[in-house]
Amino acid sequence: MAGTDRAAVVSGADVGDAVRRRNVAASQPVAVVQKPEAEYLKKTAQKSPSFLDVLDQWEWLFAPLIFTALAFFTRFYKIGLSPIVTWDEAHFGKFGSHYLKREFYFDVHATPAGKLLVGLSGYLAGYNGSFEFKSGETYPEELNYTFMRQFNAFWGAVCVPMAYWTAKELNLRRPAVWLVTLMVLCENSYTTISRFILLDSMLLFGTVATTLCWAKFHSQRKNSFEPEWFLWLFMTGLSIGFVTSIKLVGLFVTALVGLYTIEDLWRKFGDTKLPVTELAAHFIARVVGLIILPFLVYLLSFAIHFAVLTNSGPGDAQMSSLFQANLRGTEVGRDSPLEVAFGSRVTIKNMGYGGGLLHSHVQTYPEGSSQQQVTCYHHKDANNDWFFYPNRRSEDYNAEAEPRFIGDKDTIRLIHAQTGRNLHSHEIAAPVTKADKEVSCYGNMTVGDEKDHWKIEVISDAASRDRSRVRTLTTGFRLKHEVLGCYLRAGNTNLPQWGFKQIEVTCTKENKPRDTYTHWNIEAHTNEKLPPGDPGKYRSPFFKDFLHLNVAMMTSNNALVPDPDKQDDLASQWWQWPILNVGLRMCSWDDSIVKYFLLGNPLVYWGTTAGLGVFGVLVVWYLLRWQRGYKELSEDDVDQIVYAGLYPVIGWFLHYLPFVVMARVTYVHHYYPALYFAILTFGFLVDWFLRNQKKAIQYSIYAILDATVIGLYIFFMPICWGMTGSNKQYKYMKWFDSWRMSDA
Amino acid sequence: MAATTATPQGSVRQRNVAGSSKKTKDGVSSDVEVDKVANSKVVKSVPAAAAGSERDYKIVMFFVTALAFLTRFWGISHPNEVVFDEVHFGKFASYYLEKTYFFDVHPPFGKLLFAFMGWLVGYDGHFHFENIGDSYIANKVPYVAFRSLPAILGALTVSVVYLIMWESGYSLPACLIAASLVLLDNAHIGQTRLILLDATLVFAMACSLLCYIKFYKLRHEPFSRKWWKWLVLTGFALSCDISTKYVGLFAFITIGSAVVIDLWDLLDIKRPGGALSLPDFGKHFAARAFGLIILPFIFYLFWFQVHFAILTRSGPGDDFMTPEFQETLSDNVMLANAITIDYYDTITLRHKETKTYLHSHPDRYPLRYDDGRVSSQGQQVTGYPYNDTNNYWQVLPADDDPKLGRHVRNHELVRLRHLVTDTILLSHDVASPYYPTNQEFTTATITDAKGDRAADTLFEIRIDSGKPNQEFKSISGHFKLIHNPSKVAMWTHTTPLPDWAHKQQEINGNKQLAPASNVWFVEDIPSLLEDDPRRAKVERKVKTLPFLRKWFELQRSMFWHNNQLTSSHPYASYPYQWPFLLRGVSFWTQNDTRQQIYFLGNPIGWWIASSVLAIYAGIILADQFSLRRGVDALDHRSRSRLYNSTGFFFLAWATHYFPFYVMGRQLFLHHYLPAHLASALVTGALVEFVFSADSVEHEAAYQAIKAGKKPVAAKRHLTARERFAGQSMLGSWVAALVIFTLTFAGWYFFLPLTYGYPGLTIEQVLRRKWLGYDLHFAK
Repeated sequence: MAGTDRAAVVSGADVGDAVRRRNVAASQPVAVVQKPEAEYLKKTAQKSPSFLDVLDQWEWLFAPLIFTALAFFTRFYKIGLSPIVTWDEAHFGKFGSHYLKREFYFDVHATPAGKLLVGLSGYLAGYNGSFEFKSGETYPEELNYTFMRQFNAFWGAVCVPMAYWTAKELNLRRPAVWLVTLMVLCENSYTTISRFILLDSMLLFGTVATTLCWAKFHSQRKNSFEPEWFLWLFMTGLSIGFVTSIKLVGLFVTALVGLYTIEDLWRKFGDTKLPVTELAAHFIARVVGLIILPFLVYLLSFAIHFAVLTNSGPGDAQMSSLFQANLRGTEVGRDSPLEVAFGSRVTIKNMGYGGGLLHSHVQTYPEGSSQQQVTCYHHKDANNDWFFYPNRRSEDYNAEAEPRFIGDKDTIRLIHAQTGRNLHSHEIAAPVTKADKEVSCYGNMTVGDEKDHWKIEVISDAASRDRSRVRTLTTGFRLKHEVLGCYLRAGNTNLPQWGFKQIEVTCTKENKPRDTYTHWNIEAHTNEKLPPGDPGKYRSPFFKDFLHLNVAMMTSNNALVPDPDKQDDLASQWWQWPILNVGLRMCSWDDSIVKYFLLGNPLVYWGTTAGLGVFGVLVVWYLLRWQRGYKELSEDDVDQIVYAGLYPVIGWFLHYLPFVVMARVTYVHHYYPALYFAILTFGFLVDWFLRNQKKAIQYSIYAILDATVIGLYIFFMPICWGMTGSNKQYKYMKWFDSWRMSDA
Repeated sequence: MAATTATPQGSVRQRNVAGSSKKTKDGVSSDVEVDKVANSKVVKSVPAAAAGSERDYKIVMFFVTALAFLTRFWGISHPNEVVFDEVHFGKFASYYLEKTYFFDVHPPFGKLLFAFMGWLVGYDGHFHFENIGDSYIANKVPYVAFRSLPAILGALTVSVVYLIMWESGYSLPACLIAASLVLLDNAHIGQTRLILLDATLVFAMACSLLCYIKFYKLRHEPFSRKWWKWLVLTGFALSCDISTKYVGLFAFITIGSAVVIDLWDLLDIKRPGGALSLPDFGKHFAARAFGLIILPFIFYLFWFQVHFAILTRSGPGDDFMTPEFQETLSDNVMLANAITIDYYDTITLRHKETKTYLHSHPDRYPLRYDDGRVSSQGQQVTGYPYNDTNNYWQVLPADDDPKLGRHVRNHELVRLRHLVTDTILLSHDVASPYYPTNQEFTTATITDAKGDRAADTLFEIRIDSGKPNQEFKSISGHFKLIHNPSKVAMWTHTTPLPDWAHKQQEINGNKQLAPASNVWFVEDIPSLLEDDPRRAKVERKVKTLPFLRKWFELQRSMFWHNNQLTSSHPYASYPYQWPFLLRGVSFWTQNDTRQQIYFLGNPIGWWIASSVLAIYAGIILADQFSLRRGVDALDHRSRSRLYNSTGFFFLAWATHYFPFYVMGRQLFLHHYLPAHLASALVTGALVEFVFSADSVEHEAAYQAIKAGKKPVAAKRHLTARERFAGQSMLGSWVAALVIFTLTFAGWYFFLPLTYGYPGLTIEQVLRRKWLGYDLHFAK
């Protein structure tokens, strides 16, 4: 096998050459290859190149430099003007602080890389993590928030030259490239969102970088297996890894690259002259570059996450008990007796992903039995404590006697420590999962019946093969209701508001031993009669933690459905974004505060949205003409439409449609990655329609577009750089009532 | 030879990346045309007698239909109790017969059919189908008549399935397989023996497929009388489908996709049979748009018109509609009790959603709330659900004009005086107890209200969908109370305030004016005595509204409520469970006799159909992959059938199945029935594909014509007999008989669960718990 592998690689260069040669022959670009050379010769032949010629020749260097300089200026200017915690800085600043204090936290919104970078910026700024980042509060003296914001703005600014190179790589003419770059540079919403301690500038950076790498990789398609081809393949993989590690929204741009790869492979698959070994090599290269590599980057971000967060913190409860026991400063597992006996006071943790602690409180079910609620809850409080008691048939618990240990197949009762009631289930449908039985707390030490009896079925034990004992942290067990024969389960279904959105606990009739939501383990354990031990010496493996955290994030994210009872002033709906129907106030609108308003450049938004429609018409038009036998498009033209036009449109759909379908709270900034693809489409369209027009028409239209973009950008500049004083003086920008940058 | 067909296709695909899948279809379907031509060449050599007679088809069809009626009608009077959703649809039929207005999320056609049935047998609709298990005998309901309607439609569905296969030119065994999978399916039987809408739905769906196939077969005689007939009938069937349930939309997608592909081929400049001129193409396009979109929509509206025309009396559906709509119904409370409100009247205001009264009492807001925010310490304004004199508010004009008898009108500014404490309602820029974003509501003394707080006590009455200057009426006038200076709407929610407000509801100012939860109405005018002349009930005329407005309002309300159907049901299931038949629905049980109806498909038939779907997808994928590598394993005619005819059935299955994955509402097994029907069609077609091979002679003729060596003969469609002339059908027949026998066995085994008779012993129940089906009486 090794031999053939090597042979394939060794012969790879030859094959690559052969392919290239054939392709060259197929699409008559001999002229293309020689043209630059010829031009170059012509140019060198001219003795004294004029100043304009020099500029023209060095445009590839000057233009991005100038655009970058402008980007840094617009993103950095007066960045520290507002000394208060603005909008979601409250979130991400706080997470940054957690990294600096190395406290374990849990956040549903985003994967760790972006917040790690925020933490890094805090570290570089010499911040110690002590500030609470409460919304609207003034930053303390010692916290160099300006630097932290600059760090974020850097990512936003770098998007501008990358947009330049992307447009260039997509074969747009120079003025169109400039237009695209200008539209990204002079985008008020991009500017504003990049100037604060938020993840959006990094997300934008990741999206733009992935698109750039993809475009670069695409233009290397005829140089398969050359170093540069590999470079851009792996760069694409790296940026995919980066962007998905920032926010899972990165998966959408990943899907775009995935679609491209499938199309590319399908095309190669159809080329019967391509040797099968080379086809396999193409396939493997993409699997490595676009799947394995990004996944490694994603894993790495979690590895760093776990490596940094070694102290106990607010997010402990989301993780497995064993994981918690290994955090510094945790109560879990410390000095707990190893084995559980009757009379032990314990907390019981669900072992499913994102599982909480078995909990009860005095509030009752509003329907069903109307007995006391039993839920699963992630926060640690005294209502999570339960006592192990013998069942009603056997000898009563005697505090004086020798401790009796509990093991597999023992039938026990669980008594809620705060209310003294028994864990109970009966033939009443559970409140949300109607197919299951309701679980409640009922009776007391004396009042009760057989329906308080639960049988322990040990599933696994990380510490020992001996099943005659239930051990703290390491034993996983199920609780089977003796009378109904059902299993205690907490399946990540949230109760309505009357249950405080805690997790519903039910008794399920399905006997599925591998359903981890029916698995429980002892987390905290106190029993004065037993000697303290150290059950936390077993480590939970990294992959298990990684999976656990990821599934916990996914499942909690689903709970973010909009609450009809809750009115959210800031939220907006998907249809409002492309038409720039609303903006967003990022802070309080008091006269004494520097105010920022999240709103885009109207031309960019309206223009690009219209562009998407125009593109649809364009495609239908050419398709119909093609079916009617018009041969007006060359193969290069079709390629140009597909790669510079269609792919950005697909990118736009991929970044936009999920928010249409998703039933969660959405905000204006969710549209920003999609907007970038709409801008690319717009650039393509302008280029497409103007490329064969007279120079005069071209110049005048480009001039008008450029001037309008810049003009509007400057017109709306105050909303990005901060509005000081009374908001009434900014009334001139309020074109519509829904643009609430001014109360007037 | 084989390679030559593949290569041009490959190159077509390569040229156009975007529409690659379409191109495939395109490439193949142009083959079809050539195919037809080639067929007629071959057929000439077949004895003509065989082509004309299809007596065997007719005989089998007769038997299948007879069996269908037998299976649907056998024991239809059992059980003589209300079963499952008969609660709803029986009730709606009664409402139609009583002409009382009701509200339902489904469009009216299916329910109108039931009402028609009831009307035919002279039933008056006195019984309202309140609970599952209510006796029909005791309540004297002609339930057999009701049930026979879906049973007839269900039985005819089997015949339609048979006809679809026949019309599509499949062999007799293939027709038999497809029809028997539906004929002997316990889910189809169970669902069509009860007063439910699905029989109508599935029947209409099957008819739309049949009509479209008929229409498509006439494509060589466009705009002929027959061509128009089947086009319009397709549209009508589609319309019945969507007018029964909105999932009928999926049939539009199925037919629509086929039409788009067809139009695309018509547009082709290289079309076999000559290119169409653009005006001709325009005619084709317009005819289809008219027949398949405009006409169905008109039918759809027509059923609503019938709906409104029948339901003229006020009923349980009133509350779902706006007051204007309710005023179009006779005997309506709104009409009877609405009184115009004058200035200086004392009124009680009630919140529409939570039914709480606007209330105030001398207690004050506490200075500091639990979360540390401070209040104005003003007098509390709360929501209180019971009648109380503290709910009385007097309407004062903004200009203090003391003239009496002046009507309050829409958009006028008013002040509200709390009678008991003699204070004026006020809102201001202080956060409410629970919502930092919402404004606090409190009251001010008269002097303050006339003095420096004057502006803050002004409220605008904004009548919901009211006209300017409209009179403000009690009961019927739903309105929002907008605080004039700050433009917030008076709003409340159900979370009770703490003890300091006696657990009453919080009233606050909502900055979002649009939500329907801001709506209030005036319940009564306590200042008017019982015998006040203004209370006198004038004989009011029932108002009328334009049809389109009524329809539009009802439509919006239906969609909104349809989306609200998200609560869980013990027997709800997920789409992924359906093809595997993992779960059924318990319809009805009777403890004494241990009888039960458990809605479940015939697992054997069901699994055969589902596995064939997977095989079909596998064959298509394998074919695509091998074509891509230049290997052509199929003769062109098999491929054409596989992609066009069987592909159409598969498309019908996919479009009737996958959309359920994105639906948020609760779903049940019966949602899969239309898709199951399509899967039965695919099964029949694929069995024929597997067990028969095309003749070599034909392929040779085809290639010759394709290469342009032989002349093209007249076009006509081939029957299966012509296609398989001289070929052994033994394999197909064996397969058909095996499938029929297996399916029959499955049907017979699960029969007691479908017909609710006879009762089963524990052991018998346990033997039927195949995939752990949650049957009753298992112990």
